[in-house]
Amino acid sequence: MKKATLLLLCGTLLCACEKPPIWDIFSKDSSLEGTQVDVKDFKTDVSKLFVLNEGGMGSNNASLDFIRFSNGNYVTGVFKKMNPDIAAGLGDVGNDIVVIGNEVWIVVNNSGLVEVISANDETEIAAIAVPTPRNIAFDANYAYVTSWAGAYVTYDSNYMVSDSKNPKGQVYRIDLKTKKVEGSVEVGYQPEGIAYYGGKLYVANSGGISCSLPPDYSYENTLSIIDASSFKVVGNVEIAPNLHKVYSDGQGVIYVTSMGDYYMNHTGLFYIYAANPSEVHKAGKNQQKPGDLQVSISCLNGDTVYCAGTRDEFDWSTPHTYYVWSFSIVDQSTDRGKIVLYPRELTGTPYGLAVIDHTNEVGGHYVFVGDAGDYFNPGTVTCYELDFGNADKLWSVTAGVCPGHFAAW
Amino acid sequence: MKRSATPTSVATRPLPKGPLPKLSVTSFPLLSPRGHLPFRVLPRVAQLAGVALLFISSHTVGAQQIDTLTASAVYSVKERPVVKPTEEVQLQDAVVAPMQVADVLRRFTGVQVKDYGGVGGLKTVNVRSLGSEHIGIFLDGIQIDNAQNMQVDLGRFSTGGIGIVSLYNGQKTSRLQTAKEYACGASVHLDSERPLLHKKFAGRLRFRGGSFGTVNPSVLWDQLLGPVTLRMSAEFLTSNGRYKFPYFDTTLVRENGDIRSLRLETQLFGSTAGGSWQLRLYGYGSERGFPGPVIRRAMGFPFSAERQADQNIFAQGGWDQEWTERYSTAVRFKYANDYMHYDSHPEKNPMAMPYDVHYRQQSGYLSLAQSYVLSDPWSVDLSTDVQRNALDSDVGQFVMPRRTVFTGALATRAVWNRFRVAAHFVYMGAWDSYGNPNAGGWSREDGYRDAWMPSVSLYFAPWEWLELDGFVKRSYRLPSFNDLYYTQIGNSNLSPESAFQLGADLRINGRKSFWSWELRLSPYYNKVSDKIVAIPTSSQFRWTMLNIGIVDVTGLDVKANMNFSEGAWTADLVLRYSLQQALDHSTPGSQTWGNQIPYIPLHSGSIDFVVNWQRWTLAWDTSVAGERWSRSANTDDYRIAPWNISDLNLSYRFDRPDITISLSCNNIFDQPYQVVQGYPMPGRSLMAGVEYNF
Repeated sequence: MKKATLLLLCGTLLCACEKPPIWDIFSKDSSLEGTQVDVKDFKTDVSKLFVLNEGGMGSNNASLDFIRFSNGNYVTGVFKKMNPDIAAGLGDVGNDIVVIGNEVWIVVNNSGLVEVISANDETEIAAIAVPTPRNIAFDANYAYVTSWAGAYVTYDSNYMVSDSKNPKGQVYRIDLKTKKVEGSVEVGYQPEGIAYYGGKLYVANSGGISCSLPPDYSYENTLSIIDASSFKVVGNVEIAPNLHKVYSDGQGVIYVTSMGDYYMNHTGLFYIYAANPSEVHKAGKNQQKPGDLQVSISCLNGDTVYCAGTRDEFDWSTPHTYYVWSFSIVDQSTDRGKIVLYPRELTGTPYGLAVIDHTNEVGGHYVFVGDAGDYFNPGTVTCYELDFGNADKLWSVTAGVCPGHFAAW
Repeated sequence: MKRSATPTSVATRPLPKGPLPKLSVTSFPLLSPRGHLPFRVLPRVAQLAGVALLFISSHTVGAQQIDTLTASAVYSVKERPVVKPTEEVQLQDAVVAPMQVADVLRRFTGVQVKDYGGVGGLKTVNVRSLGSEHIGIFLDGIQIDNAQNMQVDLGRFSTGGIGIVSLYNGQKTSRLQTAKEYACGASVHLDSERPLLHKKFAGRLRFRGGSFGTVNPSVLWDQLLGPVTLRMSAEFLTSNGRYKFPYFDTTLVRENGDIRSLRLETQLFGSTAGGSWQLRLYGYGSERGFPGPVIRRAMGFPFSAERQADQNIFAQGGWDQEWTERYSTAVRFKYANDYMHYDSHPEKNPMAMPYDVHYRQQSGYLSLAQSYVLSDPWSVDLSTDVQRNALDSDVGQFVMPRRTVFTGALATRAVWNRFRVAAHFVYMGAWDSYGNPNAGGWSREDGYRDAWMPSVSLYFAPWEWLELDGFVKRSYRLPSFNDLYYTQIGNSNLSPESAFQLGADLRINGRKSFWSWELRLSPYYNKVSDKIVAIPTSSQFRWTMLNIGIVDVTGLDVKANMNFSEGAWTADLVLRYSLQQALDHSTPGSQTWGNQIPYIPLHSGSIDFVVNWQRWTLAWDTSVAGERWSRSANTDDYRIAPWNISDLNLSYRFDRPDITISLSCNNIFDQPYQVVQGYPMPGRSLMAGVEYNF
């Protein structure tokens, strides 16, 4: 017992003696401290993992946390701490977070803002107004933000635009340098995820509001393809109802998740090849049972999409357990995919997912799961070894309300 | 107050001025004789009875008592309830009273009114942390209900035409109650004043107006039509809802919080040999905006453009009849048709979720209550209610739920002078079916839910100056249509939510020369279990409702009244204090386990002070709420600051013509405060009123 304590102490001391990376020393946020967690074996080129807590709609309690990998500190409420002048805080409903260069772009849905902060010290660089922004993607010159609202630029002083009660969604384009909105293009109803690959933007239309509105009461099922240079829609691909996330593996495969319609169509992971977008494939299409490979939450790590899904999707009477699986394309010419089913099972209410590679030779992964708890009170971020289901969770910390989105810097 | 303990002494009391009502001897509020007493009489009555001004029920019981003695002179069990209301307030001089019923209730011990701010803001009532779904709101004994969400917006109920507002924390134990009055956790009773005409007609004109562009005229007309009395009333209310509020580090004005509403009512009152009846037609229409929560929002986008229009129509009535000296019945009915249109106006607000939906809720209700005196002072009551609810909407995949509820209550009371006991058993069964059973793509089976609800109440008055009562009770509330069938939320397998209650009251009263006083101490314990809680499922967009919540509530209510009366002076002081510990015991090991549930302050209280001198009345009220949290996670982020708010009202009454003028200032010290997090309340406001009775 004493020996173990001594060993532990030594370990801590050794860690403490390790020189922190240069960006930590000069960062204004280096004084922020939080809960100590164990991140020793994480991939060393990651400095921070940001956690965006959505908050509850109307509660103005979106918040930003990060894990500092140099010393294993989990710090909550970072945006507020580093921007005390912004009395309103981060805002209402944080919906997406992406790191681009040394900037963090945070989409604050119900505040109508895209907040740009420094990845180094989380101080505000710009706050850009976009109506009901949802998700964000980048090319070399622009940020592209999906939006549920009508054409913001055409509203007059009385906000009058059209007679439509259910305006089609838009993709707004923001200049990376000037941080100004430069036009928008109309897509389908209630667009969600967006990804950029090879001069094209791929936008998942959900119809999440249309489904409860007359006359059609139906979800969207299309992926809109926008040519980035002309900023025009060049195609629509029918995939599945209620599309959600879009990922590009960087090699020409575009992944799209569907949330299904909650009673007839299950969730699932679909993909197209950028070279032949009209042909839609389903991950696990050769599985025996229909409905296998469900997607409740997902994330991209490298060229692989990681998902957690539940087999009892249409049973609304009990809490569920979630299995974790991943999918990647091994050979595009023969459409050969690789499915891995991990032994790790998740319980509770997993809400956000991030996977980071392990430094050891085996090539394992760590998985971060944001658990929303009751969606009302602060949730947790838990770290597991993804590849070893029997091992206990490594650690769990209290985050903000609905920790749903991750971004590594 | 000793009127219940020693009714004989009450009978010898001098009666208030005015003619005695020719009424049956029921104590059921629908038909109880509450007339237009000149308000100056009240302090005298109160003084004589040794009670405070606000406990005006003394004079009504006094009147009933005399009537009983002259009419039938038997069966004390018919007259006396077993327990008293926890709180009771008369609103006769309503130009002085607050405009909305919610503002009357918020002072009561153990009551939390959730207020979203402004004249048009939602106001729901919660008693002793049971949850507003457990609180029955009764208008003349007939429940005002809402099968859609089981919450009644008390901001919509004007004090105009309401005679008495009373609250029962435990169990109301009067004769000829409807079964529903037995079947709720706690109850608020709004009883109309019954017109008492000693001329062909009488009327009242009232006008109020003031801050936030509030204009509130109303008219009331009473007319004798042979043996029947007709009452007609109309009330209009408009307010722009614009008030300053702190917006983080700056100040903004609330927008889109305006309201217009119109209420039209016709009532008929009549009597039969040994009975009486009442009929009411009610129409209410309103159009209002919702200003939305205070959140960070990009410049140029409005906070909200949401509008809601409502049309509420109902017809209700009752007939109380004494068939023999032992056997009486009461029949009550109601038909209600509630229409609601909600529009988020995305064309005016690019931040809006595009919604434009309509709901229509209909409800039919029939109740028969029977009471039989077995052997004085022992009686037995059987009440049977049946109700049908239907909710239609153009929301996508809506199941159009229909519900038939049967409620049966078997109750018994034994009422001696100093010792009284009541017990009841309620059976409630609800059968749900669907206008669109395959909505959402899956077929729902018709569902039946039922529950048994027992209760026992005791009353003991060892001396005239000391009264003790207590009750134990279990009640259930049915899952609402929203709990069960909301399109993206909902779980049609829910069971009713249960509330176990244990409570006691100790009342001490006394008087000496010009002073009289009463002290009430009410400890209680409540346990809400199988609480219906929304939790998310495999999709963040698809929530479900589960019976998983447990709340343990331990509390103490204290109320002290002091009354002074000498010559032209009367003064009343009411002090209230509530200690309420309401702990979340839902999930052991969770971070919220053992924490105070949202919006319940551990400490709260109020001070009411009213002084009368000749024709002047000055009223001062201060309400205090301690810190509380908007989440069960009792952290700084969700702490809501304590507040104390003071209101002042000054009025003067002319004798001839009978005109009262009043001036009031609410939130005198202009305190910024929030009852619900994100919904700021108005600052200082002024209101002036004039009332003419003829």
